[in-house]
Amino acid sequence: MTIKLSKIINDWVTDESKIIDFGCGDGSLLKELMDTKNVLGYGVEISDSKIQKCITNGVPVIKQDIDKGIDEFKSSNFDLSIMARSIQCLKNPNLALNDMLKLSKRCVVTLPNLGYWRCRISLISGAMPVTPELPSSWYETENIHLCTIRDFESLCESEGIKIKDKVFLNKNGNQSRFVSINPNLMAVEGVYLLEK
Amino acid sequence: MKIKTEIITFSEELILESGENLDSFKLIVETYGELNASKTNAILLCHAFSGNHHAAGKNDESVTGWWDQIVGPKKAIDTEKYYVVCCNNIGGCSGSTGPLEINPASNKPYGKDFPQVSVVDWVKTQKMLMDKLKIPYWHLVTGGSLGGMQALEWSIAYPKSIKKAGIFAAAASSSTQNIALNEVARESIRKDQNFFDGNYYEHGVSPKSGLKTARMLGHITYLSEELMDMRFGRRFQDEESKVDQKVNFEVENYLQYKGEKFSESFDANSYILMTKAMDSYVAGKDQGLNNVMKNVEAQLLIIGFYSDWLYPPERGKEIQLAAMDNDVNSSYVVLEGDHGHDSFLFDSKKYSKIIKKFIES
Repeated sequence: MTIKLSKIINDWVTDESKIIDFGCGDGSLLKELMDTKNVLGYGVEISDSKIQKCITNGVPVIKQDIDKGIDEFKSSNFDLSIMARSIQCLKNPNLALNDMLKLSKRCVVTLPNLGYWRCRISLISGAMPVTPELPSSWYETENIHLCTIRDFESLCESEGIKIKDKVFLNKNGNQSRFVSINPNLMAVEGVYLLEK
Repeated sequence: MKIKTEIITFSEELILESGENLDSFKLIVETYGELNASKTNAILLCHAFSGNHHAAGKNDESVTGWWDQIVGPKKAIDTEKYYVVCCNNIGGCSGSTGPLEINPASNKPYGKDFPQVSVVDWVKTQKMLMDKLKIPYWHLVTGGSLGGMQALEWSIAYPKSIKKAGIFAAAASSSTQNIALNEVARESIRKDQNFFDGNYYEHGVSPKSGLKTARMLGHITYLSEELMDMRFGRRFQDEESKVDQKVNFEVENYLQYKGEKFSESFDANSYILMTKAMDSYVAGKDQGLNNVMKNVEAQLLIIGFYSDWLYPPERGKEIQLAAMDNDVNSSYVVLEGDHGHDSFLFDSKKYSKIIKKFIES
């Protein structure tokens, strides 16, 4: 999945740029970008086992709770910040978005779409959706701020954040023309390039 | 594990950061494992303020090394794969040139006349040792506390001679509180009637009582409140194992015992020198950490421990942020650690694994 993501955002990433990846997991996205685009990447992660994997992968990593603020990275002059499938786990997604755009001129955000038709069917039938993209039950999920594609775009608008580019993915993680017809209903995931 | 101990003499003049000099000096060095044919597997361990060259395994006196939980065959720093070197720093009291040793100029122990040494000086002598051992570069330089400061200084002072630095439970400089606590310890030594302004060797005595109090205070600062609660609580010491009758609580007995033992083996002048070196270190000096970080080529691994209030994790974070500002490949990890500041000494699954992965990555 992350290899695919690195392909999707490939054109948005400048060679040899300085990148910070919030909620970097095992560091595989950064590793891919380090290998293919020679970027200087730093991951931010809270889970010790994922941090161990980053170190195994040779990806520089910082242990940090993103909810506690990311202001202190401001002086590092990043070209791009990334938050893949993590924004819905934060206490204050709107603040985090603005903070990311203070760290770097551009940022990449990806998020699961709660408006996806399978999620809607699940809700219509009276249950919180459990899908391959949102696999946890409501009581144990880390996704405390799920939203739809439309919700996210209207947040961007109200915060004055420009959507420079966007890609919508189907359940296989691929772009398709079919999904683009009505992403709020058909997309499993949205991938955004944002600027303030 | 093959342990080799030797004393290496350097006959060249050493000019210290203070401007003073030593005409010659010696280092007592312990090594573990073997240097490989391509000389790419050397690791330098830097000891904390009361440590010495004996880092791992058991020595002839059956004493276990200070980092034995981390260093040894198949351990985080694997002596079957790496050639590990540790020396007692100058100014110490375990066999390297220090206040206890005879000053060739006077034929008497240096005592209080031993020049003030610094982290920068130690790293300089360790570099001389590296050259003498014909090691082209260190794969890793690492240590905790004052040892972590040396690892940081290595990456700044000799960027071409070090591939990786492990900086654990350390900071780019000591805090005001660190200096304050050290000063109380030093004062208790100075006020001991057997101190004689540092010339106690001539009187055939040692300021043991002052040294003991200093160490007791030190021990409180190395442990976390939780650990003290857990380990001693408010339990009373049983009659048979009391060090003396004044003792009521287990924690009192522990501090009395530890302090007494330390005062018998450590030199008071070394204590003062080592703590002064710790207090005065500022990575990058007048230039500032951010400016000297530009030169760093080594990969850094900074580890802090939540239970460490003496050199808390935030101090390691400062190093990490300066490293990131300067595009240095650097990671910052915080671990639970049950032992307060001393956590860097103890093995834990996560800690050992991270060190191991870092060395091998």
